[in-house]
Amino acid sequence: MSTTPIISMKKICKSFPLEIGGEQQVLFDITFTIKSGEFVAIMGPSGSGKSTCMNIVGALDSASSGIYELYGKDITTLLPDELAKIRNEYIGFVFQNFNLLPKRNILDNVMLPLMYRGLPMEERLMRAREMLKLVGLEKFETYLPTQLSGGMKQRVAIARALAGNPKLILADEPTGALDSKMGNEILKFFKKLNKDLGITIVMITHEFEIAKYANRVIHIYDGRITYDGVIPKNESVLLKSEKRAHKK
Amino acid sequence: MTFYDIAHESWLSISGNKMRSFLTVLGIVIGIMAVVIMVAVGETVQQSITDQFSSLGTNTIMIRAGAAQSGGVRSGNRMTLTMDDVTYISQLPDVAAASPVENSAAQVVYGNKNWSTSMVGVYPGYATVQNIEMEYGSFIDESAVRNASTYVVIGPDTAEELGMPKNPVGEIIRVRNTPLTVIGVTKAKGESGMGSQDDMLIVPITTLKKRINGSRFPNSVGTISLKLYQDADNNIATDQITALLRQRHKLKESDADDFQITDMKQVMETMTTVTGYLTLLLIAIAAVSLLVGSIGIMNMMLVSVAERTREIGIRKAIGAQESTIITQFLSESILISFIGSMFGLILGVGLSQGVGRFVMHYNVPFSIWPVVVSISVAVVVGLVSGVMPAIKAAKLNPIDSLRYE
Repeated sequence: MSTTPIISMKKICKSFPLEIGGEQQVLFDITFTIKSGEFVAIMGPSGSGKSTCMNIVGALDSASSGIYELYGKDITTLLPDELAKIRNEYIGFVFQNFNLLPKRNILDNVMLPLMYRGLPMEERLMRAREMLKLVGLEKFETYLPTQLSGGMKQRVAIARALAGNPKLILADEPTGALDSKMGNEILKFFKKLNKDLGITIVMITHEFEIAKYANRVIHIYDGRITYDGVIPKNESVLLKSEKRAHKK
Repeated sequence: MTFYDIAHESWLSISGNKMRSFLTVLGIVIGIMAVVIMVAVGETVQQSITDQFSSLGTNTIMIRAGAAQSGGVRSGNRMTLTMDDVTYISQLPDVAAASPVENSAAQVVYGNKNWSTSMVGVYPGYATVQNIEMEYGSFIDESAVRNASTYVVIGPDTAEELGMPKNPVGEIIRVRNTPLTVIGVTKAKGESGMGSQDDMLIVPITTLKKRINGSRFPNSVGTISLKLYQDADNNIATDQITALLRQRHKLKESDADDFQITDMKQVMETMTTVTGYLTLLLIAIAAVSLLVGSIGIMNMMLVSVAERTREIGIRKAIGAQESTIITQFLSESILISFIGSMFGLILGVGLSQGVGRFVMHYNVPFSIWPVVVSISVAVVVGLVSGVMPAIKAAKLNPIDSLRYE
């Protein structure tokens, strides 16, 4: 594991305007760093702010205050198009509901981020086929997503996330729409990617059993980090941290 | 993204919803087709006017007897023009030829055939004025006019209707019991709007007045038709003729003209202007259907943006910039508009040429500018109707779009 920080968040706060006026703060002084090659689970119950945190980490959203550095570059104040470029070049997304384009075959889906990067067609094809082979779907490249099982769809999504050769994969509840068998397969695959290819993985989950596949857990409760460290032996450690935060 | 990527993505999106795309394209097809057909109609009318005048020549002037208006009533029947006026007018420097024109209906008899046509009494100069060329024989000459000879020049259609031999020179026909010897047949001019010149009898004016009609005023002339030299100025010539006739008719300064001059060039210019405005009006009406078609595109694109919110979210999440999304949606609307315009152009040109040539037997002029206009309209309509949906798509927040169900 390298010590180079990929993600550095300093006192990140996020507020949303309310329809009735005023605003609601959902993240409070979130501070952590993630180094290259880590496999981190961001955990928390529903409404804890973990998805908002992930959106900021994934450059899909901007923080209201604080500093977010990705690969040492402050991206807190970048414009939407600049953030799009960052997402295309540095981050691969894996979503809970796969988010594949339903009317395009899986080869087209995997090539999509490469098209936005402006790579020539031959290179896109070569790279996409390589990725489909990596996830074991090389024989299905002309299939539409609707013709595949949930596990296969998620593997296509992973192939798409890896196609751009990112150093960071952000997975938002990647097993949420899968049965436990397929879910475990996907998690093992993440583990393999992290171990064999050294890809940094940040995974959002609300299940401790899933978080256990990671090496580190950041627990968020009510918009604050209540635990950041190695995976504890059991979930009670995390729940206690929630209670301590609640008392404060 | 390369041009191929943009075109490919647009095509996949459009073809992914075939019926809706077809109906939207149809709106543009109808709009462009209507514009192209209306342009063809307008150009055909203008062409037909120009053709009619060019068979006469725009350097033709007509003088009618009688003041243009007298106490609010046109008094064209007053016999103010005379044969002598014709002689003097033909001596003016700009006048190439002049001829009195006396029209009359004629029932022609040849053998056992009977044919109703029009007859015109003229001077030899009439051939020059009307651009008449001879197929057989010769035109009326000075001596025929002087002697009121019973000679007649006939049109090719008249000869055919009367069942005359191929070269009927020397044959005798009868009009109101006056036997007339055919001395020539004019060359066919083709159809002419204002009564076919191919079906007509041309006789010396003296023959018509004295022998056939038995006129009580053999020296009066109803109309004088004249032709100017090519390089003559119509306005100057008109002024000269006016001055000459006023002087000859001994009109005082305060008197109105007792004749009326019609300059064919002015008539043609007026008619061309009027038909030009009519064409514009037709195109404007057709353009309304094009406008409706373009609203159809905008509507389809707005629906498409709403339907594809999630797709837009996915594309943005994996790196599509706002400009890329705008380009994609704009190119979709331009592609729809372009396809519609091309089909509209093909159908419009095909229908106008087909109906014109095979149904109406008229040579519809084909001009390039409807093609240029169609392509430009395609791009402009596509851009205008696509820009709002495209911006809407580009401004979508990726997070909200990804959550969209």
